[in-house]
Amino acid sequence: MTTAHVPVREPAWQLSRSAIWLWVTEGFLGALVAGVAATLFTLFVPDEGGPLPVLRWAVPALAGTYAVVAVGVRPFFRYRVHRWEVTGEAVYTLTGWLTRTWTLVPVARIQTVDVTRGVLQQLFGLSSVAVLTASSQGTVRVPHLETAVAERMAEDLARRAEQVRDEAT
Amino acid sequence: MTVEAPPVPTGRRTSPLIVLVHTVTFRQARSFVPAALGIGAAVGVNGGRWAVVAMVVAVTLVSLGTAALSWWRFGYVDGPRAVVVTRGLLSRSVRTVPNDRIRGVEVEAPALHRVLGLVRVRIDAAAGAVGGKEEELVVDGVRRAEGDRLRGVLLNRQPAAVDDAAPAAAPVEEEFARFDNRWLLYAPLVGSYLVLPLAAVGALFRLADELPDSLTPDLPGPDALDGRVVVTALGAAVVVLVAGAVVGAAVVNWGFRLTRRGGSLLAVRGLITRRHTELEIDRIRGVTLAEGLGMRLVRAARVSALVTGLGDAARRGQLLPLGPREEAVALGRRLVDDPGPLVRHPPAARRRRLVRAVLPGVVVAVAGVVLTATDGWWWLAASGLVLAVLGVPLGRGRYASLGHATGPTSFSVREGWLTREQAVLQRRAVVGWRVRQSFFQRRAGLATVVACVGAGSGGYAAADMAADEVPEFTAAASGRWAQTLAPT
Repeated sequence: MTTAHVPVREPAWQLSRSAIWLWVTEGFLGALVAGVAATLFTLFVPDEGGPLPVLRWAVPALAGTYAVVAVGVRPFFRYRVHRWEVTGEAVYTLTGWLTRTWTLVPVARIQTVDVTRGVLQQLFGLSSVAVLTASSQGTVRVPHLETAVAERMAEDLARRAEQVRDEAT
Repeated sequence: MTVEAPPVPTGRRTSPLIVLVHTVTFRQARSFVPAALGIGAAVGVNGGRWAVVAMVVAVTLVSLGTAALSWWRFGYVDGPRAVVVTRGLLSRSVRTVPNDRIRGVEVEAPALHRVLGLVRVRIDAAAGAVGGKEEELVVDGVRRAEGDRLRGVLLNRQPAAVDDAAPAAAPVEEEFARFDNRWLLYAPLVGSYLVLPLAAVGALFRLADELPDSLTPDLPGPDALDGRVVVTALGAAVVVLVAGAVVGAAVVNWGFRLTRRGGSLLAVRGLITRRHTELEIDRIRGVTLAEGLGMRLVRAARVSALVTGLGDAARRGQLLPLGPREEAVALGRRLVDDPGPLVRHPPAARRRRLVRAVLPGVVVAVAGVVLTATDGWWWLAASGLVLAVLGVPLGRGRYASLGHATGPTSFSVREGWLTREQAVLQRRAVVGWRVRQSFFQRRAGLATVVACVGAGSGGYAAADMAADEVPEFTAAASGRWAQTLAPT
């Protein structure tokens, strides 16, 4: 992987470190569901003929791989990729882990700024910020910031958007 | 009647003649049909002819009653600041739409309306990011003159932010496009028009199914194995499809005319239902030029405007429903500056398109080979190979569609194979950029750039652009703020 093929620059700031543990928790819950499903599969699907014998070991193996990736790999990878930044003119984020998405929205075109706190997020003291524009695809989402940071950012953006706002469409 | 508050229709009313139209079309009574069916089933209809007559009379009376009631309860005002529509059969609803939120006004005259000299006015309010059907006011059944008055008043009274080229004071008419009936011959090559006869045939079959047995003639079944019968049937089907597509296109687009009147564009079209659609030029952020697979064979194209906050943009934004490509391109250039010829994407993009097009066939072929060994399913491997080979022209075609261009005031992106769509957008249209890079794109040095726009589908993508060109492209295609993306 060469850095030459990165199309645009990285935003400056990282998320809160608690985001890792939130993602680990989410991955753990997901792995739990996958494990239960795989167990049910091996218990209740009869092993006779066709591709079923293969599936009897493939399904638990897949569930196990998923668990390892979702708990042990993905959260750390995601944390390294995710970045965000608010500049004088725009909000800028980088999200994803295998597929990366950079989103840039100028402050002048911001329509609304939402701060949300999910159930799990509240356990870790985190909040997500969504910056909406007139375009359904032009939404900047910054996941898992410390609540105080998120609120300050939302307030700041909303105030500045009102000052410089042109038509916003 | 159990309505407590006496209805106070404010302001203007629709023409009483609309009651007639709605009675015939069961406009309001339609919502009672499920209930009526339930009651009918519970009571049981077995009285023969008189029961049927009684039913018809009862249904018509209910329809008349509800139509009259809803006419009586309906009122609208086009005030200096806002349009207010009051309506509701039993519950009362008052909707107010500020004038500066009105994005477009459409006047349509379905066949029955035309007989009585009435029109239906649809007022499009800004949908914003939410969208949905609720963002529309419908004033159904005013006289034609009143409809035209409403259209003029609602759009021209807005705070004028007018082009230098278009003085709002003197509405000059200038013709932008006029439909040539010879263009109807393109219709059989356009997917959406081919669907029309299919839908009609489907409806016919349903109707034939519902006819009582005594009415269906007892025809001898054709011998399906006879080759001539099959050929004749296929030929007839093709003729029906082609003729149906042409007739369908004619019904929708008859007499299409696009004119500029002051600061807005006015599109008129339709054979049976006549529609007048008005769009504000100042809200146009770009145009799209769409060419389907069949249309490309005959160099035909379709042009739509991208208007901010316009609901149902695919239909309302149409500037040229069907026409020769040159005509379409020229029309597009009158509204948005031409950003120049498209730049091809790098060879890596072609490899990626080819791989993506061939891969499904290869997967099927490999699975087929395995199954040939175990179960003797050779046909799966064969069809996989055919799919893989067909993937080659598909991938090449998809690559050939890719392109982007930037000009001084506008930029353009193009993609798609089944429908090749080129979007030409003004710089000010961009409300954000989204750059996506998958694992494989990163290795190939490519990235997909989406221009987020508050009009049309919301985003227009330049797929598989060279990753190094992205900052340059975004900076050239939008404001200074996009330099945030530039690598330091």
